[in-house]
Amino acid sequence: MFLEQLGGNLIQGLVLGAIYGMATMGLSLIFGVLKVVNVGHGAFVMVGAFTTLWVFNALGLNPIFALPCAFGLGMALGLFFYYTTIRRLIKAPELASLLATFAMGVLLEEIVRLGFGSEFRGYNWVAGKIDLGITVLPLPKLYASIGSALIALGLYFWFKRTRAGNAMRSVVEDSEGARVCGVNVGWAYALSFALGIGLTLMSGVLLTMFIPVGINPYMGGPYTLKAFVIAVLGGLSSPYGAFFGGLVFGLIENGSYTLFALIPGVEPFALTRFLSFVMLLVILLIRPTGLLRAK
Amino acid sequence: MNKRTHKYLPLFPVLAAYIVMFIIGDNVAGMWQLVGMLAFYCALGQAFNIFLGMTGYVDFGYVAFLGVGTYGMALALTRIKNLEAFGLGIIPIGLLLALVMGILLSLAVGAVALRLRGAYFAIATIGVNEGFRYLIEGAKIWNGAEGMIFTAQMNEAFGRDTASAIMTYWSDIFVLVIAALAALVTLVYMRSKIGYALTALREDEDAAKVMGVNVTKYKIIAFITSAGFAAILGAVSWALKTPYVFPPEVFEIHYTVEAIIIVLLGGAGTLLGPVMGGLVYGISKYYLSIILPGFQLLIFAPVIIIIILLFPEGIVGMLKARLKGTSLESFVI
Amino acid sequence: MRVKDFKGIVCFVAVLAIFAVSDAIAASKVVIGHPACLSGKYAKAGEQAIGGIKACIEWINESYGGVELSGKKVPLEYKYYDCESKKEAVTSLIGRLITVNKVNVVFAPYSSGLTLRGAPVAESRKMLYMDHGGANNKIFQQGFEYIVQTIGPATNYHRGTLDMIHTIDPQAKKVALAYEDSEFARMVMEGAEKHAKELGFSIVFKRTYPKGVTDLTPLLSALKATKPDFTLGGGHFEDGQLFNRQMADLDINVNALSLIAAATLPAFYEALTSMAEGVMGPSHWEYGVKYSEEEAKKNGLRWIGPDQDDFVALFKKALGKDILPDYHAAEAGAQVLAYVLAVEKASSLDSGKVRTALGDLQFMSFYGGWDVDETGLQIGHSMVDVQWQMGKRIIVWPREAQTGDVAYPIPAFAEKAKGKVAVPR
Repeated sequence: MFLEQLGGNLIQGLVLGAIYGMATMGLSLIFGVLKVVNVGHGAFVMVGAFTTLWVFNALGLNPIFALPCAFGLGMALGLFFYYTTIRRLIKAPELASLLATFAMGVLLEEIVRLGFGSEFRGYNWVAGKIDLGITVLPLPKLYASIGSALIALGLYFWFKRTRAGNAMRSVVEDSEGARVCGVNVGWAYALSFALGIGLTLMSGVLLTMFIPVGINPYMGGPYTLKAFVIAVLGGLSSPYGAFFGGLVFGLIENGSYTLFALIPGVEPFALTRFLSFVMLLVILLIRPTGLLRAK
Repeated sequence: MNKRTHKYLPLFPVLAAYIVMFIIGDNVAGMWQLVGMLAFYCALGQAFNIFLGMTGYVDFGYVAFLGVGTYGMALALTRIKNLEAFGLGIIPIGLLLALVMGILLSLAVGAVALRLRGAYFAIATIGVNEGFRYLIEGAKIWNGAEGMIFTAQMNEAFGRDTASAIMTYWSDIFVLVIAALAALVTLVYMRSKIGYALTALREDEDAAKVMGVNVTKYKIIAFITSAGFAAILGAVSWALKTPYVFPPEVFEIHYTVEAIIIVLLGGAGTLLGPVMGGLVYGISKYYLSIILPGFQLLIFAPVIIIIILLFPEGIVGMLKARLKGTSLESFVI
Repeated sequence: MRVKDFKGIVCFVAVLAIFAVSDAIAASKVVIGHPACLSGKYAKAGEQAIGGIKACIEWINESYGGVELSGKKVPLEYKYYDCESKKEAVTSLIGRLITVNKVNVVFAPYSSGLTLRGAPVAESRKMLYMDHGGANNKIFQQGFEYIVQTIGPATNYHRGTLDMIHTIDPQAKKVALAYEDSEFARMVMEGAEKHAKELGFSIVFKRTYPKGVTDLTPLLSALKATKPDFTLGGGHFEDGQLFNRQMADLDINVNALSLIAAATLPAFYEALTSMAEGVMGPSHWEYGVKYSEEEAKKNGLRWIGPDQDDFVALFKKALGKDILPDYHAAEAGAQVLAYVLAVEKASSLDSGKVRTALGDLQFMSFYGGWDVDETGLQIGHSMVDVQWQMGKRIIVWPREAQTGDVAYPIPAFAEKAKGKVAVPR
């Protein structure tokens, strides 16, 4: 019985972890290239979620179609925020960029609240489910998980194979050297930020495929915190690390629930959260480059 | 004016501000609660400035110290038997407990986080804040998520009228005192070896280390002081004034963000900065909520971004630059 | 910028203070003050409350003619500010309302925490403090003398549900409890657990989840394994939606599911569509309750206030939006009515006298019954259980208030996905 529960939770954890991981890739990309921590991360996830809502309700389309919309919107938002704010904060002390990105998040939340209201919304995409015996997996969750993996793979190839991707990698390695080689560093920064935000918005879409309810302007908070833990797990600068970090996080969070549940007199759920933050601290101390080698 | 007093001149504008706040609050109808709120923001800024301003490190989990201090006072009020016998004596016991708990937590956090720098430090401190909160909720420590409500105990310990006076008047006076004390300590640090070491490490930590400055020791001193003040502030403003504690509320990140805004707005690392920041932030928030209810955040968010981009040194930072060379220079640091 | 800049700020504050004092109001009206939650996490509830209050104030002024004091009919006014759902602002705004705006009563902000935060200030000024959004019973065990509750206490939320299931299905034995780990939801759980045991149910699952949870799968998987007959739980809005959704995802089928706070709101069905069929929730008020003047007469109670449809119309007018009022609006509105009745009963605006009058007051309105005990706790109002049937909310319990029979057991999620709806047998 216990093993069944554990097995079921681990499978669900893996599926959710892929999505969490993808959600964190944007954060790690931005930090890796620009050394800026986007504290408003959750707000961008929220914008992605609202995009899905709009696509589903107003256009009547399957959420998969929301992915390109969210990506486009994300790139636009990213470029906008880069050129107005982030560009000037790259060399500034982290206090400035932490607070500025936080303010960006708040601004997005308030605009969405005034535009859409503070109601809690959702949508219902009935697509069937798979019964695995020890647990049940609705197909949208599976699609979201596979989608996350595909996007992560896509990003990998983009970095390795395309000129723009290579240019960005060179900027991370050595921005001066890159400049000397003719790379337009400023533009590389802008693209990185925009790409990071685009990824984050797409993750909002995938997230709603996993959890299609409870969408409201202030939903982003918990996701920012989770993203920090996962980003650290994977090494703050590495987008792929973030993806695998997400998988590990999902497994541990769900798996540990089953273990904590065995202890009487405690609240297992809160303890899994506690555990995740302990993990964060341990990794920061012992292996700040993350569980995997960075790249 | 001899060297001694000259050293403490900058304290005058700060203390003057607090005294004026007190006078206005006490004498103008309806202002006392507002003064209480402003005092909280000033004290928060002063305490936070001791670490953020002087070292440049961003402790994104600062609110945990406020929270643990609140618990200290709450525990004193709820776990001690025979409250009536102690009467008002519970308050110093609660404050002491809060201070001790705050210092212990800061030692634990410091041991872990202070080895890290920059963004890593910020994230680590968030980790501590959240981790601590979930530990309390998960292991059901101190009543877990149910929290504690202790107005009844306060009434029992102090008698109804005194308790009421404490909750609505004396706690705010306490907060002003904490703000003044924090300002004093900030000045003492600034004018001493600690201040020089911290300025050196804020400018360039590696260079300071190479020069033989024991950066770790001074970082820890600033960190513990800042945490200690936060703990007593929490004990007074969140336990004595607000006789309940619910974990999600006392570990809410937005208080840390407000502290950052106040310090940045006023001028990080300056003495007068937190006062100005607290006043400007508190007053704007108050009047915005009256005139344009529902839109405060929408207005504040871009304003903060503009301030960060265009005025990173804050109000007092700019003031200092203007006053260079004038006789008032020694009053504003 | 001169150095006297800080003194300048102080002068600025002083000028504003004088400004503020001078906008004191003349005394020929009755003013309700409210540090409302217009933004922040309680924005939704806050907006509803303001709508309900405005609706009932308009009814009092237009249809009722105003508050009767010393032979004259005096208008009611409403002064509210935005506390951003944060406690710092609450005390300063209440201070302003009492001294500057000279209100005659303060309505507490939404949520037990914020209600508690404002209570000491109101008490110290001996100002009547009315609570429409704080359900935590412990508030009334602290010895406050000026606080009166209109919302029902937390421990009662699931009492009716348990009574209902006990009555219609004596075979049902196993109940699973899964609530949010917050002070309010925990009180509901306590009340539910106690009453369940009294009725002879066996509690096979009792766990909580943290506020702001994003995934309930591990908890619900464990719940599934205990095979409960029915499930009670919830916390606030988003977790309620998540709860239902993930029970559907995991294919956990029970005879009945009742979730607090979230399930009875229109947005719930909009978000969950067919998955919400048959799901129930306790509510303080739902459009369709059968409270009316005749009902009041039958019970020997005074009736006051608009009837339901009038209330809805006034509410929409007050907010300028075509949205339906939910129970937040109704309880806030009922509070206005209670206040007016008490002022008239006491023939005075003095807080002490009105508080005493409120203690003796019993009446019925579109919101339901109203009666408080000596600590101010609401005992006259009963909760109703609402169930989603064919996309509509039907009040299924208690029998006196029902607009339809309960659909029990509720259809399985797989059936609902194919379009089966919940209908009473």
